[in-house]
Amino acid sequence: MSKEIKSFTCPYCGESHAAAEDLKGHVFKSHKGRGLPAPEGRIKLTINKSEYEFHVKPNWTLYYLVHDKLGLTGSKQFCDRGACGSCAMIVDGRPVLSCMMLAIECGGRNVETVEGIAADGHPLIECYVKNHAMQCGYCTPGFVVSSKALLDSNPDPTEEEIVEALSGNLCRCSTYPQHPIAVREAAGMLKAAKK
Amino acid sequence: MSKHPENQTERMWEMFDNLNADKYPLKEYKHIGQRGPRRLDGLAKATGQADYTMDVQLPGMLYMRFLASPYPHAKILKMDTSRAARLPGVRCILRYDDPELPESENFGKVAGFFGNDRPLDGVAHFEGQPMGAAIAADSEDIAEEALSLLDIEWEERPFNLDPVAAADPKAPLSYPERYIDGNYWNRGAYEDKAHGDVKKGFAEADKVIEFKINRTANTWVGPERPCGVWKWNGDQAEIWLKHQRPHMAKRHISGWFGGSIPMNKIQLHMPFQGASFGGWVQVDWNLAPLYLAAVVSKRTKRPVKYILNRREDFFGGSMDEGVYFVKVGFKNDGLITAVDATLYHVNAIWPVFSTVLHLYDNTRIPHLKGQTKSIWCNKGPTVPTRCEMLPCVLTQTMVFDRVAAELGMDPIEVALKNDGADGHDMEWLNQQKKERGFEVRDSLKECIDKGKAAIKWDEKWHKPGAKKLPNGRLHGMAFTWAHEWDDSLGGGEIALRIERNDGSATILGMRCDNGVDAENSYCQIVADELGYPLEMVNYNPRFDPGFFTMTPDSSTNMSVNGFAVRHAARIVKQKILESATSPTAVTQRGGYQPAFPNLKPEELDIKDGAIYVIADPTRQMPMADFVRIAGESGPLATDENLGVRTAWSEPLFAYAFQPQHGGYNPHNPRPRLCRQAHFMEIEVDTETGEIFVTRVVNANDVGKVINRMSCEGQQYGGSIMGVSRAKLEEIVHDPVTGVMLNGNLLDYKIATMKDLGPIDTILVETGMGYGPYGLTGIGEDIGTVVPGLVPLAVYNATGKWIEEMPVTPDKVLKALGRE
Repeated sequence: MSKEIKSFTCPYCGESHAAAEDLKGHVFKSHKGRGLPAPEGRIKLTINKSEYEFHVKPNWTLYYLVHDKLGLTGSKQFCDRGACGSCAMIVDGRPVLSCMMLAIECGGRNVETVEGIAADGHPLIECYVKNHAMQCGYCTPGFVVSSKALLDSNPDPTEEEIVEALSGNLCRCSTYPQHPIAVREAAGMLKAAKK
Repeated sequence: MSKHPENQTERMWEMFDNLNADKYPLKEYKHIGQRGPRRLDGLAKATGQADYTMDVQLPGMLYMRFLASPYPHAKILKMDTSRAARLPGVRCILRYDDPELPESENFGKVAGFFGNDRPLDGVAHFEGQPMGAAIAADSEDIAEEALSLLDIEWEERPFNLDPVAAADPKAPLSYPERYIDGNYWNRGAYEDKAHGDVKKGFAEADKVIEFKINRTANTWVGPERPCGVWKWNGDQAEIWLKHQRPHMAKRHISGWFGGSIPMNKIQLHMPFQGASFGGWVQVDWNLAPLYLAAVVSKRTKRPVKYILNRREDFFGGSMDEGVYFVKVGFKNDGLITAVDATLYHVNAIWPVFSTVLHLYDNTRIPHLKGQTKSIWCNKGPTVPTRCEMLPCVLTQTMVFDRVAAELGMDPIEVALKNDGADGHDMEWLNQQKKERGFEVRDSLKECIDKGKAAIKWDEKWHKPGAKKLPNGRLHGMAFTWAHEWDDSLGGGEIALRIERNDGSATILGMRCDNGVDAENSYCQIVADELGYPLEMVNYNPRFDPGFFTMTPDSSTNMSVNGFAVRHAARIVKQKILESATSPTAVTQRGGYQPAFPNLKPEELDIKDGAIYVIADPTRQMPMADFVRIAGESGPLATDENLGVRTAWSEPLFAYAFQPQHGGYNPHNPRPRLCRQAHFMEIEVDTETGEIFVTRVVNANDVGKVINRMSCEGQQYGGSIMGVSRAKLEEIVHDPVTGVMLNGNLLDYKIATMKDLGPIDTILVETGMGYGPYGLTGIGEDIGTVVPGLVPLAVYNATGKWIEEMPVTPDKVLKALGRE
């Protein structure tokens, strides 16, 4: 015995309708001229200023998509999940743990990774190198990303603000004292460049 | 110009003599000791381009995961893999009873830790032990899911977690397959032979005290987890591996499968290492999975990658876990007469040192006895993490500060009173310095004076529990000391090549980059020895040129490889100067004019990358021009008949090596001369028990600084790791089930940027190291010595000893009677 269909959902906006004819009328009225809605799992997003389109599985994280599928391996997996900041990326201007964000949530979003920050010639890169703000280097890209997100929102951070912003990034070599130095220096360079 | 004895071999043997002061220092240092240099690996690491084994992806690669034992001690009675095998995407299942898997294989074991012989055991001796089955699938998720579909019948066994209880003869056996007489490992017992007579020493004492320290389990937390990739190219193996000792790994691999893969058919990639603090590579952690990857790769004809997850990386710990019982006798003036210490050491992979070793190495204490009892518990192996000296320095720190506390003395005074070596006083040690050609300096006093000034010790130190701050917290200060060490593991071989075309210098050596920037230090040595700008020297250790170069172990980066690279540089320089005065290049019919005709090699030198005439420095030739003439045709055949003036020349290349002398045992042929002193200032909140470390001062006599920022990195890095270990880090097991409760980085805390105040890094240079230019090592010791400061500082703040580490707020509150 076939199951009775009680409601008809609009694939564009999710509105419910009691009958198929009602839904049809609604689509013609409200969404006329639009292409077919994207199939499930299809997302378009911007990564480091380039447009990408992927068909993602529901369990893929943003980290997995960028690191394993796209091959941008600068983001690192240190803690395994949600504790270390090494996989940090900037999504729509905010630093996020890419291991804790599902790729499927990223449709239409703007993602920035360490590779993009480096490609833009951001002074943080040189300041990190110059000040030895790294040892084994595994967590370094995560720090660079968190620092970039900080400087985007606060171009002249105090040492305390830098420590606060980077306290979610773990470094087992314990290079911590060098990061505020590098970030302050980069802030100074950005300021000088604006003048 | 440095002098070059005619007989190279003779000079090389002189350099092997690292039991005495360096006879061949440079007169001037241009790059050595400078701030900087720019990190060779910096750009790759800051931009995310640096490659690590975890990042490797190959076409068609399979992902392998392992069954982790759910019990602390259990045997697999039956295993049915059929449900797992039916899961789509599963490509291969290896079982513990697979006939192809050997009963015994070499995975880098040092002393036969349990589970070490078999690549896949059917018995688990700790919860989480990789064992039973390995499953390779199209993705990690599929492999993981397939593991959950294994149907297993287990025999659960009784288990031990506490070392003192496990040492009781009535305790259940932790590892009955190998140790049937008890949980005490005879091979693991280490008892120092007679050094005086402790009974006599205690009889001579004015006072005798006894105390206990319980150091609970803690671990390394390497950011990149153990991982590897195996790919067969016909009968040749191509491997990517996270491993601190690539040459040792390669040697072990060549012995596998009946020794069927010769060394020259193993292509071992050595990507950057996501931190490696030593010892975990000595257990089968990484090589047994790699072996299984090789078997699966052969069966599936696909590359196979494995990564242990974060929790699996927790099953193994630092080799200071255990319970320490210490007895100390001393005079009323602070002179220590005897120490007798016993450590019940948990699962130590090579417990070959007694816990009083540092008291031998850098004190005059005449009567010492120490022993470690290696006890098997059903937890993972413990290995040297940063350094195996952890128990020894913890004991030393506690001994000195307990004595100072008992006498109401400044611990610094007690340290200076007992400084010495091998049971002898400073007079004896100063005579040793003199006889070995060193300038006689008081290393400990120099470190203390600088450290004291930095932390304002004289102004701030007070009697225990005597200072309350305006913010209501108690104020505490602590001091400890040790010798500076570079120990005797291994030798090093390194080669140096002057490149064709531009004359740049390339260092060749097989090792790994684990972040300490030692590669730059070698470049600094080559630059100063060759007379090159630093930018003309490079060392990329991430490929295998075959020279077994000492790894970061034992703080011997510089004391071994520093000699080897210096020697290679000096030989190459001599070759350059000789060839500059010989025909520059050969053709089929003769030779080119010498670059510097009618001169002898000793009349030339090199500066800023150009050869010049000493008597007339305006006569010079850049190295690039010199080598270009000699080899501009490259490897193409020379043919003057075609009218092309082409030439060929001998490569400018040298290799050198340095075997290490010395060692850490009571009979060390090199008495310890350099010292280190560390200071800490804390505040204790008496309401919450929280400890705030507000300042740390490190004063290290490294003999001679090569790479200043690298040394400082080891100081602040070691201090933070040390405080983290002492304040935060503890692996907790459920006493009822034996299951680890906090194998992740949310529940197991490591220090963040907010956990420590400023760290002062002071480098003292007495030149009393046995390495080149008078240097000694620094990599291991700060993270090893600093943890002991935390309980001392808490004592100074509160007047209460806390005998268990880590010193957590609950223990502080308990000590203050505020539970």
